[in-house]
Amino acid sequence: MKSVYVFIAFSITPFFVSAQEKSDTSRIVELKEIQLSSVQKNASQAVVSFFKSSNASTLEDILTRLPEFSLVRRGAYGMEPSIRSFSSGQINVLVDGMRIHGACTDKMDPATIYIEPVNLDNLQAQTGSNGFMYGSSIGGTVNMKMAEPDFRDNKKISGNISSGYQSAAKSLFESAILNYSSDKWAFRASSTYRKSDAYLSGGGTVINFSQFEKINYSLSVKYQHCPHTWYKADILGDDGWNISYPALPMDVGYAGARIASLSYHSEYPSKKIYKWVAKIYANKIRHFMDDSKRPNVPMHMDMPGLSKTIGVYTEGELKINKKQNLQFRADGSTTFLKADMTMHQSGQPDMYMLTWPDNRRNQFGISGSWQLSLDSTTKLQLTARADYIDHTLTTEEAKDHVSIFSPSANDRNDILKNLSFLGSKKILKAFKATLSFSYSERMPTAGELFGFYLFNANDNYDYIGNPALKTEKNLQAEVSLQYTKKQNRVQLTGFISRISDYILGQVEPSFSHMTIGASGVKTYSNIPFALIAGIEASTVVKPAKTIDVVSTLRFTAGRDNNKYHLPNISPLKNVTSVRWQHKKLFVQGETEIAAKQTRFSPRAGEDATAGYSLFHFRTGYTINLKNTNLELQAGAENILDKKYHEHLDWGNIVRPGRNLYILVKIIF
Amino acid sequence: MRKHLIYFLFVVITTTVLLISCGKDEVPEPENPTAGLTKLTEGYAAGAAAKVQVYMKESTITTGYTKLYIQLLDSVTGNRIEEAHIQLTPMMDMGAMTHSSPYENPASEEAINHLFPCSVTFIMSSMGGTWTLKVSVHNYSNNKEGAFTFPLTVTEPAKSKQKSFTAQHNGAKYFISLIEPSKPKVGINDMELAIYKKASMMSWPADSSLSVILTPEMPTMGHGSPNNVNPVHTGNGHYKGKVNFTMTGYWKLNLDFMSGTAIADTTQFFDVEF
Repeated sequence: MKSVYVFIAFSITPFFVSAQEKSDTSRIVELKEIQLSSVQKNASQAVVSFFKSSNASTLEDILTRLPEFSLVRRGAYGMEPSIRSFSSGQINVLVDGMRIHGACTDKMDPATIYIEPVNLDNLQAQTGSNGFMYGSSIGGTVNMKMAEPDFRDNKKISGNISSGYQSAAKSLFESAILNYSSDKWAFRASSTYRKSDAYLSGGGTVINFSQFEKINYSLSVKYQHCPHTWYKADILGDDGWNISYPALPMDVGYAGARIASLSYHSEYPSKKIYKWVAKIYANKIRHFMDDSKRPNVPMHMDMPGLSKTIGVYTEGELKINKKQNLQFRADGSTTFLKADMTMHQSGQPDMYMLTWPDNRRNQFGISGSWQLSLDSTTKLQLTARADYIDHTLTTEEAKDHVSIFSPSANDRNDILKNLSFLGSKKILKAFKATLSFSYSERMPTAGELFGFYLFNANDNYDYIGNPALKTEKNLQAEVSLQYTKKQNRVQLTGFISRISDYILGQVEPSFSHMTIGASGVKTYSNIPFALIAGIEASTVVKPAKTIDVVSTLRFTAGRDNNKYHLPNISPLKNVTSVRWQHKKLFVQGETEIAAKQTRFSPRAGEDATAGYSLFHFRTGYTINLKNTNLELQAGAENILDKKYHEHLDWGNIVRPGRNLYILVKIIF
Repeated sequence: MRKHLIYFLFVVITTTVLLISCGKDEVPEPENPTAGLTKLTEGYAAGAAAKVQVYMKESTITTGYTKLYIQLLDSVTGNRIEEAHIQLTPMMDMGAMTHSSPYENPASEEAINHLFPCSVTFIMSSMGGTWTLKVSVHNYSNNKEGAFTFPLTVTEPAKSKQKSFTAQHNGAKYFISLIEPSKPKVGINDMELAIYKKASMMSWPADSSLSVILTPEMPTMGHGSPNNVNPVHTGNGHYKGKVNFTMTGYWKLNLDFMSGTAIADTTQFFDVEF
């Protein structure tokens, strides 16, 4: 849905590399107008800010602009982020440092769908050597940093209201942000409403079952205790309904998230521990799948899912001396998951089973990242994390389910270890070379451990969990070369990963499938190893004062120990934007080019995917009124109305065709 | 202030926990061997000076394997008789003919938990005639013998637990009873069958010669279930294995019976619904 909801990249904000660059493997994307307050300036130990987008973009649109990211697509909504082809349990998707687990067994609801860009300050994407700082993971972390109320305009309401329309799915977008502060208190409220009909693909075909509707609302309250410390309370709600997935045999009747947190922050630039945060949080997700609107369903099913997480964390940064810096974090969380399925057939008793037998995961971890500047050109960084994780099936009923496949004890506890080393050196002033090695582990997901006939529409198999799975381990090397001169920057990164005990579904010929029409049953198992390698390149150049060019390129390939291609690997892809800005007007052209993908995994239900090129055009104009700014944006995406789909799209469902959009934003 | 609040909460929680754990003291009750059982009937075994009380787990008798628990009381003192030989004789009177049925006498002459467990397999309901059960008692406390005979009403259950077939390999008639799963659940269930062969109208011995192949099936959805264990003979005509149900609903337990490599029957099944 990238092209439909993208009103993206209105300006390419000049990047800046500060003296205290946090890491060479993290990337922060600013999501809103950048108004650097003093706090933000400290916090944004900035890497690069590529895109600043309007509020109308979904998070998915923004993610897809980053070369490390791909999205696994099942419908117009609820795409699953993938970092360098690592996805799901291989990466952490966090909301402001909080763990949140989707409540859908079929991964229809990655945590990203419950968050709107208006909720956020920025997106932090960390790959490679720093990717496990927030939690043991082999693929990296996406942390969605929530926006905070600000004290800029005391005793005055400020904010913005946006309204947009897009033609491909006749979709409406309404959003508002209000901010108010009074001496020591500051409040921020935001809300977003989206409604989309089934969209038109290239050539004008309606893609049935691709509509959705949702509302998102949040409130954040900040109490400035003293100049350097403050308390913050956040609540966020997100309700979606009538969400359709053309690539799946069912839709979602309702999906809702409630997220709440209370935190303490302190920032003393002069103190040894110059930054410290402690937070307690809870969240709950309910998800109801619905197939009652689908024709030709052999048997109707109710599939509700529930996810509840409670956690705490504390993190901070410590200045040991002029040359040494330590970042630390300790966290603990407990997540309960349950999903079941009731099948109805007239004249027969209802059939009931647990698809995620009631289970709980307790996690405790500590991590630290030590940075040492040997001299002005050489930097070393050592990062380590250990996690203790235990899993239990919480009811007799759940144990009975899982015992069918593994009669011995199914509870388990694991200690996961992660370690990385990074070194960087500036060469010839404008160049910087970075080399890193890392070892990381990840826990199998609840579905991989305890899943009970989880249907995968992509390969048409029922999946069975395996409580005896070993952790996945990743040994990775990464090398990066960066050229920076004035406002121009070119970066080239190459990485290679050897993942041992790679988790993959293996066909179990003796088992009979549960889902009507499925091809069989697969059990999750560890294969000896898999290799993933890739390159990413990004260029940000400013050939003239009024012109910005941003271009990203990525290529990834992966094979297992039998030399078979791995599934979910995106082909070579390039996105290039050229933007001309003159005073209050901007005009922008974009191309998006993907090569054909012939390295696919037939065993995972994939086939070859044709290449495509897309062209987008965007423009915007700002009108300054008294105390108020009016922003007008319009554009056309997929101008040539190309009929196409990406390799990761399930069921080869074609993406939206030509899409015209308009957005009005009033900033006050 | 905050310290006080935390202290207050601590006191409240601790007190509550202590109070709750104090409330759990229980006075042990004198054990009642027939607790949870239903008394089917009682009467006197004339001559043995014993009162015969017949208990069962269910409230009604249905066709199939029926477990009975007999309690013997001294007809004068009312004390329990713990040692006796009990012989069952089930009889079906169909008017034109009479026949018996498979049964299991108490395995031991000493009571187990004050009761004598035994069983009768009713191969048909009372629709076709009149069932009676004769309980002959040799009371070892006085060395006297007597019998108590009573009528029973046997009905057909919603899902049959009793099947029969004429074997292809030898032409004999076999009677199959489903004993377990009696309380089916999603997960691994014990599977138990009892197999009897009709030797004559009055003789229904337990059979140990057949092997059983179990194939569970959910006909509504057209799937089976994994990792089942075929029932094998464990003694006295009882065959034990495991049956796995992956969901609730209507299941069919398909059974093939073999005698060595020869097929005895491949048409039998039991319906299970939960």
